[in-house]
Amino acid sequence: MKPAAFEYHRPASLDEALALLAEHEDAKPLAGGQSLIPAMNFRLAAPAALIDLNGIGALARTGGMDDGGLQLGAMTRHCTLERSPLVAERAPLLAEAMPCIAHPQIRNRGTVGGSLAHADPAAELPAVMVALEATLVLRSASAERRVPAEQFFTGLFATALEPGELLTSIELPPPPARSGFAFQELARRHGDYALVGVAAMLTLNEAGQCSRARVALLSVGDGPVLAVRAAAALAGQPPSASSILAAAELAAREDVDPPSDIHASAAYRRQLVRVLTRRALTRAAGRVRPSSSIPT
Amino acid sequence: MKPGRYFGERVLRLEDARLLTGRALFVDDVQLPGMLHAALLRSDEAHARIRSIDASAARSRRGIVAVYTAADLGAYWRPGPLLVPPPPISGLVFNTATQVPLARDKVRHAGEPLALVVAESRYLAEDALEDIVVDLEPLPAVTDLEAALLEGASLVHEQFGSNLAAHVHQHKGDYAVARAAAHAVIARRFHYDRGAAAAIENRGVVAQWDARAEELTLWDTTQAPIPIRNGLAALLGLRESQVRVIAPFIGGGFGPKIMMYYPEEVLLPWAAMRLGRPVKWIEDRRENFYATTQERGQVHDAELAVSKDGKILGVRDRFLHDTGAYDPYGLTVPINSQCTLLGPYVVPNYDSEFTAVFTNKPIVTPVRGAGRQHGVFVMERLLDFAARELGIDRVEIRRRNYIQPDAFPYDHEILFQDFRPLVYDSGNYPAALEQAVELIGYDSFVRQEQPRLRREGKHVGLGIVSYIEGTGIGPYEGARVTIEPSGSVRLATGVGTQGQGHFTTFAQIVAEVLGVEVDQVQVSTGDTREFTWGTGTFASRGAVVAGSACHAAALKVREKVLALAGPLLGVAAGELVLHGGRVQSSNLPDKGISLGELARKANPLRGAVTPGTEPGLEATAYFGPDRGNAASGVHAMIVEVDAETAAVTIKRYVVVHDCGTIINPMVVEAQVQGGVAHGIGNAFFEQLSFDENGQLRNASFMDYLLPTALDVPTVEMAHIETPSPLNPLGTKGVGEAGAIPTGAAFAQAVEDALAGSGVELTEIPLSPNRLFELLEAAKARGAA
Amino acid sequence: MIVEGTYPLPGTPVVIWDLLMDPEVLAKAMPGTKLLVRAAADRYEGVMRIGIGPITAAEFELVIALTDVLPPYSYAMQIDGKGRAGFTRGTAKVELVPEGAGSVMHYSADLQVGGKIAAVGQRLLDSVSKLLTRQGLEALNRELNHRLGGAPA
Repeated sequence: MKPAAFEYHRPASLDEALALLAEHEDAKPLAGGQSLIPAMNFRLAAPAALIDLNGIGALARTGGMDDGGLQLGAMTRHCTLERSPLVAERAPLLAEAMPCIAHPQIRNRGTVGGSLAHADPAAELPAVMVALEATLVLRSASAERRVPAEQFFTGLFATALEPGELLTSIELPPPPARSGFAFQELARRHGDYALVGVAAMLTLNEAGQCSRARVALLSVGDGPVLAVRAAAALAGQPPSASSILAAAELAAREDVDPPSDIHASAAYRRQLVRVLTRRALTRAAGRVRPSSSIPT
Repeated sequence: MKPGRYFGERVLRLEDARLLTGRALFVDDVQLPGMLHAALLRSDEAHARIRSIDASAARSRRGIVAVYTAADLGAYWRPGPLLVPPPPISGLVFNTATQVPLARDKVRHAGEPLALVVAESRYLAEDALEDIVVDLEPLPAVTDLEAALLEGASLVHEQFGSNLAAHVHQHKGDYAVARAAAHAVIARRFHYDRGAAAAIENRGVVAQWDARAEELTLWDTTQAPIPIRNGLAALLGLRESQVRVIAPFIGGGFGPKIMMYYPEEVLLPWAAMRLGRPVKWIEDRRENFYATTQERGQVHDAELAVSKDGKILGVRDRFLHDTGAYDPYGLTVPINSQCTLLGPYVVPNYDSEFTAVFTNKPIVTPVRGAGRQHGVFVMERLLDFAARELGIDRVEIRRRNYIQPDAFPYDHEILFQDFRPLVYDSGNYPAALEQAVELIGYDSFVRQEQPRLRREGKHVGLGIVSYIEGTGIGPYEGARVTIEPSGSVRLATGVGTQGQGHFTTFAQIVAEVLGVEVDQVQVSTGDTREFTWGTGTFASRGAVVAGSACHAAALKVREKVLALAGPLLGVAAGELVLHGGRVQSSNLPDKGISLGELARKANPLRGAVTPGTEPGLEATAYFGPDRGNAASGVHAMIVEVDAETAAVTIKRYVVVHDCGTIINPMVVEAQVQGGVAHGIGNAFFEQLSFDENGQLRNASFMDYLLPTALDVPTVEMAHIETPSPLNPLGTKGVGEAGAIPTGAAFAQAVEDALAGSGVELTEIPLSPNRLFELLEAAKARGAA
Repeated sequence: MIVEGTYPLPGTPVVIWDLLMDPEVLAKAMPGTKLLVRAAADRYEGVMRIGIGPITAAEFELVIALTDVLPPYSYAMQIDGKGRAGFTRGTAKVELVPEGAGSVMHYSADLQVGGKIAAVGQRLLDSVSKLLTRQGLEALNRELNHRLGGAPA
């Protein structure tokens, strides 16, 4: 389990990194390395060059935005987000998901940008970003573009990133008023890939009816799956035990076509979608504070 | 041996400071000038004919020093020895097929080595692996035990005409008569699967040939350095005294590291001698799943004949055992299954027959528990089903069938893995059961907590099971104790240590006998230069056999001390005591001499010595028990099952354990806790998932799930001590106990939690996915 | 591993058949194929490289042997792919059923996967095989459309 030989570059700036990426056809950017390096050690991946982004401080800046949202630098470590009071306040769904990502050691090195660019179907962050309606900022040597999370994940390990492009930051909108959130996943052991996971956001209008529901599922398909029929079933009425039950049933029966592997059959995954969606929506509904603008 | 200052005490481990601060030598720490690195090309196919291997491109790569295939080994190539011949059971059939250093003609399991590459670095060696062109003609693989025995099945070893590796039938009494007289006969099919030992340190070998001294040194992660030395010396045409095998600190053994001779153990010294440079091979984790032996599954068709009040009249068991592609370790594992099934119970009639089957999978040799798990599972489940059918409480049915405390030695009349009759030396099974019942709170759980929680919609269940573990078998071990002029004591023994605490427990024994501080005793294990006679660390025998040898050697040194000190001090031997590193008069403590000074006096440079004496204060002694002894225990656990997700949480785990006289309670508790962790892994998390083509689908810790500290509860423990009359310490083994009955306890507990669902659990391992499947099937049957 | 399904194709079986036998067209149906030649009347040989997610260095030498050839409706294939990352081997059946102005391809494959990708990639095998099948059929469809109707490939 030793990797094949590769060239190593450590650019000091984003521009330098983008130039190197454009120059080397078979190069991979190195963020936390928690997925890339094992793949290289197994020799399932063998890039001719690694472009180490860990020296680019500008990519790791995370802070609040004037509109009350958050801007996360792509190279921000998971552990930074996990411990950040700002994240807990402005993106509590993200804060709740962070401890579910692998193990503390991995969170010390892994980055939010790396996880999103890698787009593992069992990863937590893609589903959370889709649920939060995040915007991803992509840059190449010549241009910058902004892609909504829902459009960023295009298939199995596939993203909207074009050759020569880097994900540089993620922008989260301010938490909507009268919202509740919940992140729920089931894994065999603490830190394992989830068998199924749910990232849910519910927003109510002044009449207490559900005005927006975002239910993003992980580990049930090629990437994060938005449970649109479940969300539709919740809209226009106050969340209740029966509406949540019905929504969960739709999520399981119609919104997903899960794969089978040695840990979970498709049928078992469907059952987990049914149960975890119901539990997540119940918790999210219970967390909505009618009058304050920041959900707890 | 009686408890004293150290013996029986919770002495902090002497080796831990070195282990925890990185000062302990492990095989991969060995760095030698000019050292080369090896990698092995392993077969992707589970069963194939080898048409050709072309290593020319690999050989011409920069940094590659040599590439060897079977053809290059010439006359050195030969199958390994049969390590454990089958026991002398009448009518036994055994087909010997042992592993080879590099595959020639055929590969018989995925991962079997095809070529050895030696290079300047492991990176370069792995580059060269990709250059080797192998032409294999795939053959159908046999993986299913029943299908493997059918007419026309693909053959792992053509010369036998079938895939039958062995057939063994042991019986006592007359089961047919018992069955005819039974009130009920409980019959079921059981599947019990196990897995890899997954030690934290993988295997590794460093071989160095010193051409001037004509000596070979081998660092090896082996549990049996002395047999390795003897075998390799013979293989390489060297004298035993020319070969030194060092098993340094080793990160866990659990059984597979006693298997020999692994291809790497045979290839590296040969390569080192040819190349004139030391060669190192360190196994990576993915290799470990194929290249290091493992345990796997058995299928049992078993039945229990019982009387109306739940007394066992007889047991009949027919089972198939997966031995893998070769069977160098004989029948240890299935014989253990066969014998351990009897457990702590009176079984007047027993008819047990098994067939060991060759399959295209890695070799099966003992892993912590060594086949005992399978037997315990079958018996405990049969008793549970019988209890349910007869309307008897599951604790009560066990009580009614126990061998009573006054019935020892108890002869089961069949042969055990040490070729001796299965005779239990001592035990108190009813007492252990009562303690476990009390610790787990059985009565209040069954009568109050469980019903209350059920009403709240919580599915909790309790499992309580009983087992015997045969330990401390021969043939023998030895030890040498030396008092040095400094006053410190040197103890050398031939067994190796893979974390069992030998550096402490053996020191405790010697310190007790010689009256020195325990940290004055320096222990050397696993170095054939230090001690040259012995077998190894396996079958929970280290403390029993090597410990007893340490005890015997210390006693001999004590005799010499008294014989020399008496005349020197002018005190009668009967009035002398050994205390605080001195030998002194019990009445007048000032009349004494330090042991160090006495040792100096015992080795004069001038003057005459008494004829018939030996210089110094040193003695060597050996111990070989007449037969193995019987440790025992009861495990109880409480689980909660989420009926919607089939997720299982272990709420409590209780072990009442009897390993005879305890040398160090901390070490025993650690062994039990670790064993339970291993058992929980096997019951609920681990499974080697081979497909029907012999491909392993989870050769990494991503998918082969080991329980972590967060998944295993702290075990609540109690001990019972029924000393063994078979060794002077009175001790019994404890290394495997924690891992043995866990599967049985787990199945009973989960089934109890799911009572009313119609699910019966007759297999291990279980997983939430599998439980969900069984629950759905029960619903479909309308069984709920 | 079983992979099966149906897929509509733009042309009658007679038209599609000849194109399917063309190695250049067939190569499009196998994403990542660097090379595919017709070594004999009933045999194709080539090199295929898989690049999905973390797996970017899995290259396979492919041999596809055709059997039970019943033009223009059906054939079977013996597939043999070998590489450093592992191997895949098995049989596939392809049937073209006329439907309206076009055809429906009925395919089913029973493939064994072994070696490294099977040993450490189990979590993804199901998804990857579905993805490759889908990508392949979509690419085949585009190529057929291009050849038959001048639409961009």
